Amino acid sequence: MLRRTRYRRERILLPGESEGRRSFLKWGLFGTVVLAVGGGTWLATRRTRALPGLGGPFVALSPLEATVFLSIAERLVPVRAGFPRPMDVDLPRRVDSIVAMAPEPTQGEIRQLVRLFDNALAGFLLDGQFHTFTESTIEQQDARIASWQQSRFALRRTGYKALKRLVYAAYYGSPETWPAVGYPGPPSISPAKPAEPPRPETARSSARTHPRPSAPAPRPVEETPAPRSGMDLPQEGKP
Amino acid sequence: MSELAPGRIIEAGELRRDVEETPDVCVIGSGAGGAIVAARLAARGRRVVVLEEGGYFPPDKVKMDEAWAYPTLYQERGQRATADLAITILQGRAVGGSTLVNWTTSFRTPPRVLRHWAEVYGISGLDEKALEPHFEAVEERLHIAPWPLEVVNANNRVLWEGAGRLSWDREVIRRNVLGCQNLGYCGTACPVGAKQSMDQTYLQDAVRDGARIYAHARAVRLEKSGRKVAAVQAQAIDPTTFKATGRKIVVRPRLVVLSGGAVNSPELLLRSGYDPSGRVGKRTFLHPVVASAAVFPERVDPFYGAPQSVASHQFADRGKGKVGFFLETAPVHPLLVGPSLGGFGAEHEEQMSKLAYSSALIALSIDGFLPEEDGGTVSVRSDGRVRIDYRIRPEIWEALREGNKALARVQLAAGASAVYSLHENPVVMRTEADVALLDRAPWEPLRVALFSAHAMGGCAMGRDPEKSVVDSRLKLHWLDNVFVVDGSVFPTSLGVNPQETIFGIAHWASDHIASVI
Repeated sequence: MLRRTRYRRERILLPGESEGRRSFLKWGLFGTVVLAVGGGTWLATRRTRALPGLGGPFVALSPLEATVFLSIAERLVPVRAGFPRPMDVDLPRRVDSIVAMAPEPTQGEIRQLVRLFDNALAGFLLDGQFHTFTESTIEQQDARIASWQQSRFALRRTGYKALKRLVYAAYYGSPETWPAVGYPGPPSISPAKPAEPPRPETARSSARTHPRPSAPAPRPVEETPAPRSGMDLPQEGKP
Repeated sequence: MSELAPGRIIEAGELRRDVEETPDVCVIGSGAGGAIVAARLAARGRRVVVLEEGGYFPPDKVKMDEAWAYPTLYQERGQRATADLAITILQGRAVGGSTLVNWTTSFRTPPRVLRHWAEVYGISGLDEKALEPHFEAVEERLHIAPWPLEVVNANNRVLWEGAGRLSWDREVIRRNVLGCQNLGYCGTACPVGAKQSMDQTYLQDAVRDGARIYAHARAVRLEKSGRKVAAVQAQAIDPTTFKATGRKIVVRPRLVVLSGGAVNSPELLLRSGYDPSGRVGKRTFLHPVVASAAVFPERVDPFYGAPQSVASHQFADRGKGKVGFFLETAPVHPLLVGPSLGGFGAEHEEQMSKLAYSSALIALSIDGFLPEEDGGTVSVRSDGRVRIDYRIRPEIWEALREGNKALARVQLAAGASAVYSLHENPVVMRTEADVALLDRAPWEPLRVALFSAHAMGGCAMGRDPEKSVVDSRLKLHWLDNVFVVDGSVFPTSLGVNPQETIFGIAHWASDHIASVI
């Protein structure tokens, strides 16, 4: 059985082996075929169900896709004292809002990627796992992430990088995570712009250094600075 | 020549009807190149319209918050990267361009680079002597001066001390700031107006002299008529959704200055069907960057203080056939670092938990100088998205590996208790002897995090119209009224941070551009 799986893996993944432009197209085709075929096999009975209480509503992701992102985040940020759980920082909604900023074709690619990552047939073909990602054990989930991360096919590593970027950006962009990493947050600032120091006309700028600033106390800022007079933004241009 | 219309910054996202402008000059892009050309042409009485895709963010409108800043102030909402995601690309998109969010590092162009351009690409008239007065002028206007060593932050001090102990070249960086409070938030745009970015300096000058700057106005097409561009078609962009509002801005100028940067300038030419010799979007260089994270016994607080103030050019010239690199530092904030550190799960969390004790240094490889190097490409996909490809040559992998080793040695020499590479399986180094472990690490795409904040090339200067895009005066070879003034005209990378080279070249080019209109 193991042998047969290996054999099939080689056969199916060969198109992705080169790293050229063409292989991207073929990889996309592979994903499409897997997702299409996956719907018609017994593996299709293994489906991820959207978790209740996911947050949302979502703009770009389906509840199912958001569920998969949450499951991935649970493994990228496993339980550790002081680190909020992904759901505590509203991670599915945060990932969704990042995905929603992307051009529509990119959104489509991300959604296809996350479904392929979760898909039981893809899991079977790529990693010999018969389950969707979300219904796998923790050990199986870590193994599946690692197999994408360490794949000899650059395209799977690209997929891993896309998922990793989104999850960590959503998670560590949340102020709730800052105490865990020892980041005190932005400092308070004095809003007034300091006066320009005298500067002789003929002085070569490289011959002098900037005046020494006083180091600001690093503590979280509460208030917003007083507005500085800027240029006006009229409602409408008048050609 | 100049008309009565007052200069101002216009929020195109709020336009309620289509607009047509007929200035002398249309400048596309308001970054390091476009802003200076706009200001200098406006000062000479030319009527200037600037189109800028990004928004206008004066100091009181910015937040020291990464989750706000990257999607708001950066290209592709902070998600720009090569197509395979192997190289993350940081590039600003705002009034002021990347100068709004860069780390203020200011180097003049190394003379050996200018000599190389003259010898290999036949570029004439752009030498050290010609640029000297222009560098002096921009250094004066932008208050470019060395940062005092006494206030260099602890992360930069790691590079200073480490390089010192290894007896390597080291220097304090010159920065374009005035009244800097040493906050450490250059990358999310200066909240106190100290950074002398284009929006605070040359664009203010341009507006004073009558220039009209459209913020949230994306140039989508140049329309040709014979050997000239007759019109620039632009879309107004909604400031919240960043989608087109449906309002159009049509500019019919006598002359066009394309200053969109090394990705967006070639992109616009390609979208407009201009690529007569197949060289548009070719020879894209990135200074591909490898980073090194180190944990120290005492707090580094790398979040705070001027983010980049020390450099070492010890390995910039490594001899024939080798790619040089230079060493600098990077700010450490959670959103930037989280996706960049190697691995996932418990080990990743462990590294993140030490952020306050961490130093982040970078080695930037100097690409484009080997005869066989052709860099990356910028192209436009069939679905309309821009695409950046960059195949990392073996010589560049070698430079990245040696650069990583140099960074680890610096950090260990400065007293780091452990140094981590940014491989997916991080290489952990606790003594000098461990540095050799990097020789056995995998140097392949997506097995180690790579970055670029210096996109260059794509509309390369050169004498031969079949091998380059613009001539030595920055005019497109095959069109009579279009100049390209930004980092895209570099035929190679630089070996130093590019902003001041772009400032200097823009200041220089303004003189001869003014002479043709």
